[in-house]
Amino acid sequence: MAAETEHGEIEGFGQVSRTVGTVFRYLLLAATMFGIVTLAVLLVYVANDAIRPLTADSGWYLTYFLTLVVPTLLVGAYVRRRDHAAFSFGAFLVGLLVVSLMFSGGVGLLVVDVVPPLVALAFALGLAIPAAVAVVLTRNSHRISFTTRLVATTLAFYLSLFGLPGPIGDAAGLPQVVPSFVQFVQSIPVIPVDWMMVAAVVGGGSAAAVGAYVAGVRDARAGLYAGLAAFGASVASAVVGPFVGLNPVPAVVVTAVALVPTATYAWRGAFGEEGTPVGLVFAATVVGGALVGAAAVEAFGFAGPQSWVDWQFLTSSHSGSAVDAGLYPAIGGSILLMSTVAALSFPLGVGAAVYLEEYAPDNALTRFVDVNISNLAGVPSVVYGLLGLGVFVTYLGRSAGTVLVGGATLALLILPIVIISSREAIRSVPSDLRQASYGMGATRWQTVRNVVLPEAFPGILTGTILALGRAIGETAPLIMIGAPNVVFNLPTALNSKVSAMPLQVYAWSSLFASEDFYTKAVPAGVVVLLAVLLAMNSVAIVLRNKFERTG
Amino acid sequence: MSQQNTNESNARADSSPDPTDDEMLIQTDVSGSVSSSGGPSRRETVVSAENINVWYGENQALQDITMDIPEKSVTAMVGPSGCGKSTFLRCINRMNDLIDSARVEGDLYLRGKNVYDDDVDPVALRRRVGMVFQKPNPFPKSIYENVTYGLKIQDKGGDYDEIVEESLKRAALWDEVKDQLDESGLDLSGGQQQRLCIARAIAPDPEVLLMDEPASALDPVATSQIEDLIEELAEDYTVVIVTHNMQQAARISDQTAVFLTGGELVEFDDTQKIFENPESQRVEDYITGKFG
Repeated sequence: MAAETEHGEIEGFGQVSRTVGTVFRYLLLAATMFGIVTLAVLLVYVANDAIRPLTADSGWYLTYFLTLVVPTLLVGAYVRRRDHAAFSFGAFLVGLLVVSLMFSGGVGLLVVDVVPPLVALAFALGLAIPAAVAVVLTRNSHRISFTTRLVATTLAFYLSLFGLPGPIGDAAGLPQVVPSFVQFVQSIPVIPVDWMMVAAVVGGGSAAAVGAYVAGVRDARAGLYAGLAAFGASVASAVVGPFVGLNPVPAVVVTAVALVPTATYAWRGAFGEEGTPVGLVFAATVVGGALVGAAAVEAFGFAGPQSWVDWQFLTSSHSGSAVDAGLYPAIGGSILLMSTVAALSFPLGVGAAVYLEEYAPDNALTRFVDVNISNLAGVPSVVYGLLGLGVFVTYLGRSAGTVLVGGATLALLILPIVIISSREAIRSVPSDLRQASYGMGATRWQTVRNVVLPEAFPGILTGTILALGRAIGETAPLIMIGAPNVVFNLPTALNSKVSAMPLQVYAWSSLFASEDFYTKAVPAGVVVLLAVLLAMNSVAIVLRNKFERTG
Repeated sequence: MSQQNTNESNARADSSPDPTDDEMLIQTDVSGSVSSSGGPSRRETVVSAENINVWYGENQALQDITMDIPEKSVTAMVGPSGCGKSTFLRCINRMNDLIDSARVEGDLYLRGKNVYDDDVDPVALRRRVGMVFQKPNPFPKSIYENVTYGLKIQDKGGDYDEIVEESLKRAALWDEVKDQLDESGLDLSGGQQQRLCIARAIAPDPEVLLMDEPASALDPVATSQIEDLIEELAEDYTVVIVTHNMQQAARISDQTAVFLTGGELVEFDDTQKIFENPESQRVEDYITGKFG
């Protein structure tokens, strides 16, 4: 009987209706695309208002089409067909250059207008010296007990930053007996030129990073040479800068933050192991095309688009007329807020995540905390604003609307997100590795430090950057804590008033609402905000792809 | 004489027609740890378990395990899945402490010291008892760092280069990796990874080496390499290995413990005796493949 049925089925394959399935599938596709398409349409409108591509000469477009688009497409297609890895490398190199140039803008803003170079130098040295002490102590960790190391390191930092006896002495009514190293540097009568100090701080940091990276890839000697070369490049750029129209300080910053890392990446990708020098050709075509195009447009006198997002918009502060209004204090404010938020939420969030994943016993309290962290992640941001106002301003008596209060409030806001994503990253570390470590006789702390955190770090970093992306776009908490709508100068201290990009955009569209602001300043502000956000997210995505476990 | 721990309920459930079952039970209880003298081996006892019971929550995983493991030999533990052989292995270095729901009762002596005493730090214990796991689990670090991991966390001094070379040679891996010590341990093949894990385990020079089915995730060639290696290691270390591969136990072990479902140790004797002439009918059934 059964055999007959089977036979019958095999004879005539009946038509099975798939209509419902097909309809369902396209409904799902529509649901997937709905948000993306809606947002894309909005962004096209906003970008059109902000950048106004239609105001450019046709000659301008033609020039760039010939110098940039056509060569990019041709060379790109050729390189891609020959060697896909080389194409990816070249494309990534261009992306790195663009993003790192944006970051150098942020750093430049900090060293030019926020932190005086002398203070930066003093604090950089004040941190570098005790850090060196800490490294030396760790190297000799076999001989020195943990407690001694901890005490010595803490003392070195304290002396260097605060001097002796510092705040403790103040409380006891003692004058400061020994000035801190930071004060000592600041009191040196012979002050070097600004760019020298910036080169020492920013260029030195960048050179150290490059040197360490190259030393890791090749050997210590190559690392030393690379570091020296990078530092030399930063210093040289200050001398060369004025000839190409850049002041020494910005020139140093751009070289140290953007050019040196990009060059290092290019060197590694092109001439390292499995290097693909062809990728350089592609990158050179894109960058060269853009430069040649710019030169040609200049020479022929073609006018580009009358974009509202221009140098003036990025470097001036709010003004009564939309044409003169700029976003500069808000950009700087956002950068400072983000630095504060990162400094506060990263250690707290990662610490909490490590505790909950690695240490916490499975009991009622842990489960309570578990559930409520998820709840906290969903609490509306305006409530966090109220919390910040209540705790920091009313209760602790800090003045409203400052960098510190704003940063702390936003840090509270993203803390649950940081904790959740960090826990996710820690949980994804295979338990095999923990077992192996414990099996070797490692303590919990040793296992966390040597096995879990290094393995989870990329994930933790990605989660934190995405959470910062949320914080940078928040408006409501800043309004709640009394951040001013209009700030004309960059905040220069943690307790000075701060504005932020979304807040400025909000102010333009509410307080100063007029046709002019709606069509000029607001779209331009949105474009800048999104560009910064995308730059941050691209860093997160690159980190995730780079460190993703391969097998 | 073989050591038996057969309780009444199992005796009833069992079809084993052994009329002296109850007498045997009494005998075992009386003889206790003395059994090592007439037991499977005449070597000095390193690990000695007395009435170990383990529960995971409500489920009892091990029932009254009493056995003495002699030094510098290979002791195999065989049995069907879920019989508690891995659990017992993890009792020796107190890895069960890491599982919240696990509860261990009884005494387990390492060279005469009860490791479940309050004054024993499980971390210090694990530094004396190395462990190799079922799945190769090298750290995502260089081969060199993998081998020196134990030395570093234990703050042991010494010439690391020399120890790395020595350990990798003992793990029969040196010739294959000596030129790529700075490359990631994850780039090795499965069999090489497991030998790297063995090198990592023996680098700090433990007294006992526990191996939890070390070859079950490997292909036949890698398995035979690991087996040769285990036999060599037994010249210097006390090796306790869990396996559910009968032939493997027969090939490499000096004495074999047979665990059966329910977490009882049914028979523990010289390997030859277990495989040729087991006392218990259930062990014979299991070994000849009638179940399990």
